[in-house]
Amino acid sequence: MVALDVAGLTKRYGAVRALEQVSFSVAPGEIFGYLGPNGAGKTTTLRILAGLVRADAGEARMLDRPARAAAARASVGYLPGDLKLHGGMTGSALLDLFARFRPAQPPVLRARLLDALALDPRDLARRVKFLSHGTRQKLGIVIAMQHDPRLLLLDEPTSGLDPLVQMAFRDLVVERAQHGAAVLFSSHVLSEVEAVCGRVAVLGAGRLLALESVDVLRGRMVRRVRVRFRGAPPPTLADTPGVAGCDLAGLDATLQVRGDVNPLLRLLARHEIERLVLPEPQLEDIFLHYFAGGRDAGD
Amino acid sequence: MPAINLLQHIAVRHAPFLIASAVLLAAFQLLICAAVGSVDVSGALETLVHSLPPLMQEIVSSQLFGGFTPRGLLAFGWSHPVTHALGSAVAIVLATRAVAGESETGAIELLMSQPLSRGAYFAAHVVFALAAIASLSAAGVLGTVIGQGVFEIERFGPGPLLRLALAYSLLQGAVFGITLLLSAFGREGGRVASGGFLIVLISYFGEAIGRLWNKAAFIRPWTLHEYFPPHDILVRGLGIAKPAVVLGSVLAASLALAWARFRTRDVP
Repeated sequence: MVALDVAGLTKRYGAVRALEQVSFSVAPGEIFGYLGPNGAGKTTTLRILAGLVRADAGEARMLDRPARAAAARASVGYLPGDLKLHGGMTGSALLDLFARFRPAQPPVLRARLLDALALDPRDLARRVKFLSHGTRQKLGIVIAMQHDPRLLLLDEPTSGLDPLVQMAFRDLVVERAQHGAAVLFSSHVLSEVEAVCGRVAVLGAGRLLALESVDVLRGRMVRRVRVRFRGAPPPTLADTPGVAGCDLAGLDATLQVRGDVNPLLRLLARHEIERLVLPEPQLEDIFLHYFAGGRDAGD
Repeated sequence: MPAINLLQHIAVRHAPFLIASAVLLAAFQLLICAAVGSVDVSGALETLVHSLPPLMQEIVSSQLFGGFTPRGLLAFGWSHPVTHALGSAVAIVLATRAVAGESETGAIELLMSQPLSRGAYFAAHVVFALAAIASLSAAGVLGTVIGQGVFEIERFGPGPLLRLALAYSLLQGAVFGITLLLSAFGREGGRVASGGFLIVLISYFGEAIGRLWNKAAFIRPWTLHEYFPPHDILVRGLGIAKPAVVLGSVLAASLALAWARFRTRDVP
């Protein structure tokens, strides 16, 4: 059984292609990453699933029902990428309003979510227009998850959250997946998708560029490592396993490392290092890989 | 029921605005009664007419062709721009907010991602708006009835008052329907509200100009305000079969077209 099944989804806005033949499925208990830069078609996909946007072609089914059917959304939680709430309502009134849309599914997780996201009761008593962006985002998360949905559609869910709350949120998502919920986790932040997802779809310009496990994706990640040696750089630097590119300028080396960085670190450990910068892999590098024909190479 | 929940949400959200509009309309009709009952009729007429711009003075005079009786003046109160402005404001605001306004603020995205069909969303807004307009009409009529009692003015029978309330409701219902049609196509509340306001202005002044200028009389049947005749209802005791058919048809057609657009459009 699949919780979410998307087949050949296509959407155009006039001459602009928002989605072209996108297909994937998400199983119960799976956290499925949906990666892509801004404008790739992630939000359009989620809006089609939430019944907001009509696809030109293709079919989407959620929990064995057509996505457009209102009943399909009873066990679904949706967090929009650009969350907008009625500013004149208090936080608690909003939570109650959205809970009442599902009389058969009471907000059993509300207290747990408020606690995990550190949402202060005083914030809930204030009007939404007076709340910070991060607090409003927390409210959106509670609205999406308070009824313990079987399918979660999350569009850039960590936007505006501070790092500690981001971690707490990721733990919540993992916890719900362990309880059997399917999660579609849309993001343009590679590291957070890598942290929680088992499989990933990579979307670019409305097309599905790849659909693979996070382990495979991790192998494709390219890190741009910068090293300043105290002495001459080792001559075998460019030949180290994983090093795909090496630019030397005096004592400085800029390396492109694909996949496992341990062979490089073992080599560097044998030399005197003045400075080492090992940044997070960037989504752009993954895209460069696909657009450069990496798919055809079969790696 | 998700639709009932949405209906409650809309009611709570709009309650202050609607209550204020209803109180103002009732107070205005009461004021008209006070003017008619506390000063001599011609003096009241003079006061009212002279407070208006020249073009409006012509319009008012044309609407009082039945004579300067207390009933005629009370009927004028229902043709007064303030009465029309209050009703149209309610109709336009509710229609604008239903789709375009909510799209502009983005709040529609989370609402419509709930287990709530488009039909239920649309129906909740229409039912609430029509109920609100009917309540507004009732408040206005109540103002007239109370005023007649307090200032000892000859009372209207229940029949004319009911017909007046129905005709006023249908007029504002038609304004709501047309504005909702604009709203179903729009994403910006300001533009939709401006469009609705412009249609009301064109209809109001089109009817008035057609009444004042014989060569422009052909315009009148094409305006909404031609089908709201307080003087015919209250003074001459005429029925409202034709106005009800015309305004009811405009309302039904505009709601049908608005629904046809809304059920297939992308939101927000």
